[in-house]
Amino acid sequence: MNKLRAVLMGAALSVALAACGSSGGNTTSNTSSSSSSAKPGAGKPPIVMGDKNFTEEYVLGSLYQQALEAKGYKVTLKGNIGSSEIVYKAMTSGQIQMYPEYTGVIVSVLAGNTKPPHSATQTYSEAKAFLSQHGFTLLKPTPFYDTDAMGVLKSFASKHHLTTISQLKQFGHSLKLGAAPEFATRYEGLVGLKKVYGINPTFKPLAIGLTYKALDTGQVQVSDVFTTDPQLTTGKYTTLSDPKNVFGFQNVAPIVKASLLKSEGPAFAQTLNKVSSLLTLDAIRRMNAAVALDQQPPTSVAHKFLAANGLA
Amino acid sequence: MNSFVQAFKFIGRNGQVPGAPALPSLVHLTLGTIEIAAIGVGVALVIALPLGVWLGHIHRGSFVAINVGNIWRALPSLAVLAIGVAFLGLGLRNVELALIVLAVPPVITNAYVAIDGVDRDVVDAARGMGLSGWQILRRVELPLGVPLIFAGIRTAALFVVSTTTIAALTGYSGSLGDIINNEASYHLSGVLGAAMCIAALALLQDLLLAFVQRLLTPQGVKLEVGTRELDAIGPPLAETV
Amino acid sequence: MIVFAAGHGPVIPNFGGSSSAYACERANRLFCSGWVSQNWSSVLWPALRQHLVLTVIAVGIGFAISTSLALVAHRRGWVERPVVIITSIMYTIPSLALFELLVGVPGLGLSRTTAEVALVSYTLLIMFRNTLTGLREVPVEVRDAAAGMGMGPMRTLLRVDLPLALPAIIAGVRIATVTVISLATVAALIDNEGLGAPILQAISNEVFKTELIVAGGMAIALALLADGVLVLVQRALTPWARAAR
Repeated sequence: MNKLRAVLMGAALSVALAACGSSGGNTTSNTSSSSSSAKPGAGKPPIVMGDKNFTEEYVLGSLYQQALEAKGYKVTLKGNIGSSEIVYKAMTSGQIQMYPEYTGVIVSVLAGNTKPPHSATQTYSEAKAFLSQHGFTLLKPTPFYDTDAMGVLKSFASKHHLTTISQLKQFGHSLKLGAAPEFATRYEGLVGLKKVYGINPTFKPLAIGLTYKALDTGQVQVSDVFTTDPQLTTGKYTTLSDPKNVFGFQNVAPIVKASLLKSEGPAFAQTLNKVSSLLTLDAIRRMNAAVALDQQPPTSVAHKFLAANGLA
Repeated sequence: MNSFVQAFKFIGRNGQVPGAPALPSLVHLTLGTIEIAAIGVGVALVIALPLGVWLGHIHRGSFVAINVGNIWRALPSLAVLAIGVAFLGLGLRNVELALIVLAVPPVITNAYVAIDGVDRDVVDAARGMGLSGWQILRRVELPLGVPLIFAGIRTAALFVVSTTTIAALTGYSGSLGDIINNEASYHLSGVLGAAMCIAALALLQDLLLAFVQRLLTPQGVKLEVGTRELDAIGPPLAETV
Repeated sequence: MIVFAAGHGPVIPNFGGSSSAYACERANRLFCSGWVSQNWSSVLWPALRQHLVLTVIAVGIGFAISTSLALVAHRRGWVERPVVIITSIMYTIPSLALFELLVGVPGLGLSRTTAEVALVSYTLLIMFRNTLTGLREVPVEVRDAAAGMGMGPMRTLLRVDLPLALPAIIAGVRIATVTVISLATVAALIDNEGLGAPILQAISNEVFKTELIVAGGMAIALALLADGVLVLVQRALTPWARAAR
C-alpha cells in the first residue's frame, strides 16, 4: 500500500510540474535573441495579441509578436481565435489589445459600411477613421494586398469559358460555392455577389483550409480563396475576375488599442510599421507557401524572415 | 437572460438573423441533424446489436464485448474525424464513421451484459420446456434484456445527437452544427438557439426510445426495473469490470 | 501620408532549402516522418502536455465537486434529483456550443479557465451517479456490523462505505477521464492548446494528413493509456474485488 501511495504521489507531482511548465496555447516564444541590441520594450507593460483563423494570419501574428519580443516587449499571442467578427469582439471586450486585420474587412465587416470604397487609400482612411472612433489605432499598412477571390479548377474554367464572376450566373442555384461560414452574411461574400453580379449559388460552409480540397473532390465548383494563397501558383486553379470590386481592397495593418500606444512608447509602433513595410506580395506568398505547402510552423518561418531582415 | 430571450426569438424566426440575407431554415438544419444522427445510430445498431446479443447468448467473448466497448468509447471524436479526413476525405462518410465509432460501444456492451446476465435458471427452465436456442433467445433472453439493451441504445443516441455538431468543423454542412460553428453570422443568440434545439432533440429522441422500450418490455420485467435506472438522460453506469 | 510601396525590398530568405526537402509535405502523403521529428518538440509534445494538464485539472475539480455532492446526496436523498437534472442538462449541451457560450461570460473569455469550466461540467453527471450508486450499494448488513463494532458515522464512511464503493467510483473517474480527453480536443477552438490545436491547424493548412494522423493518434493513445492506468489503479486499490471473482 505504501509503495502504491508513493507511486501515486509521484504521478501527482509530475503532473503538477507539467502544469507549471506548460504555458498553454498562448505562446510566449523564446526566439527573441541576441542580434538586436536596443531593448526599448524592456519594462513596458505586457501585451496580449490575437490572430485570425487561417495561414496568413498565423504568419502575421508570429511576425509582429517576434519583432516586438526582439525589442524587449513581452507579448502573449492568442492564436487562431476565429473570424474577424469574433476577433474584433475579443478586442472590444479587452481580451486582446491588438491583431492584424485587412483594411477592406474593417470597412465592410466591422464598420458595416455598405458603400464599398473605390481605392486602397480610401479603404485605409475609412478603416482608420472608423477604428479611431472606437479607441483603436490602425498602424501603417503592408505593401502586399490579399483579397478574396472566386477560385475554380482550371479545367472547369476552360470547359465553361469562365473568366469573370458574372459568368457564374449561367449555373443558377445548382452551382455549389464553398467558403468560410461567415461568408454567408458578409457583403464581401454572398451578399455582395448576389447584389452586384446577380449570382445565386448553393452555399457550402467550409473551414478555410478546406476550400481547395473541396474543389479537388468536386464537393464545390467555386471556392472562396485568397489571392496570396500559394496553391494558386500550382497552375491547377484559376481565379475569376471581380471587375466591380465586391471583394474590395485588402492591405493588412495591425489594429492596436490607442491607449496602449502611449504606454508602450514610440518604439512599439515603429517596430510594427517596420515589419509591415517589409511585407511585399512576394514575401508573404513565400512565407504562406512555407507554412501551407511545406508545413513548417509559422513561428519558425517568421523567425527566418525577421532574422534575414535584421529584426529578430 | 437577454441572450435566452434572443435565442428563443431566433428559433421563432426559423433560424433567420435580422439584417442578414436568407439563411438555411432551422427546420431544414434540424432535419439534417436528425438524418445524420439516424444513419449513425442505425448503422451502429446493425453492427453492434446482433454481435452483442449473440456473444451474450453463447456466453462467450466477454472480453471482446466489454473491452472493445470500453476501448472504442475512449476514442476522441474529433481525433477520429481528423484521421478519417486523412483517409476518407471530407463529407458524410467520414462524419458517419466518427458517429458509428461513438455509438457502437454502449450498444455492444449493454447488449452483451443484458443477454449474458439473464438468470441461468430461467434459461434452463425454458430449455427444459423444449425451447430451441433461437426460441430461448427470442422469447426469453431478449424480452428480459430489453431494459439494459435500450439503456445502451439511448446512451448511443444521446452521444450521437450532441456530436453531430462537431462534424461542421471538418467540412460537413447541413446540420445544426453549421449554426454553432458560425457565431460570426448567427451571433451568440443563434448559437444558443441551435444548442437548445440540440438539447431538445436529445430529450425528444430519449423520450421516443423510452416509449419504444416500454412497448417492448414484458409486463413482469417492468415491475422490477425502474429502480435500476436512475434517470432518463445520461450515460449508463459504468461496468465495474 | 499612407505608404503602400515598400521602402526598400525585403530580404526573402530561403525557407528550408531545396524543394525536395519538403517533397513529402508538399505531396501531402499519409505520413511524413521528417515532419514529425522536426515538429515533435515544438508542436506535438507541448500539445500533449497541455492536453494532459487540461484533463487532470478538469477531472480533479470535477471529482471534488461530484464526490462532495454524492456524499451530501447519500445523506439527504432529496438532493439527488435536482443534481441529476442540472448535470444532465449540462451534459446534453453540445460541447462546441458550450465553449462558445462560455466565451461570452464576463471574466472567462478565450482562456484555459473557460475550457476547464466546460470540461468540468461534463464530468459531474458521470462521477456523481457512479459514486452515489457505489455508496448506496454498500450492503446494510455491513454498515450494521460497523455500527456494532462501535464505529461512528464518519469512520464508517471512511473505513467501510468509501472503500466498498471504490470500484464504482473509479469506474466513474475512468469514464470522466476519457470523456474529458475527447472533449479537450474541441476546447482548442477557444483556448488553442492541447491536441485539438494541431488538429484544427492541420485542417486549416490544406488538410495536412501527417499532422491529423499523428495528433489524432496521440489523442487516442492518451485516452487508451489513461483508461488502462485507471484500471490498474482500481486493481491495486481493491485487491479484494479480484479475489471475489
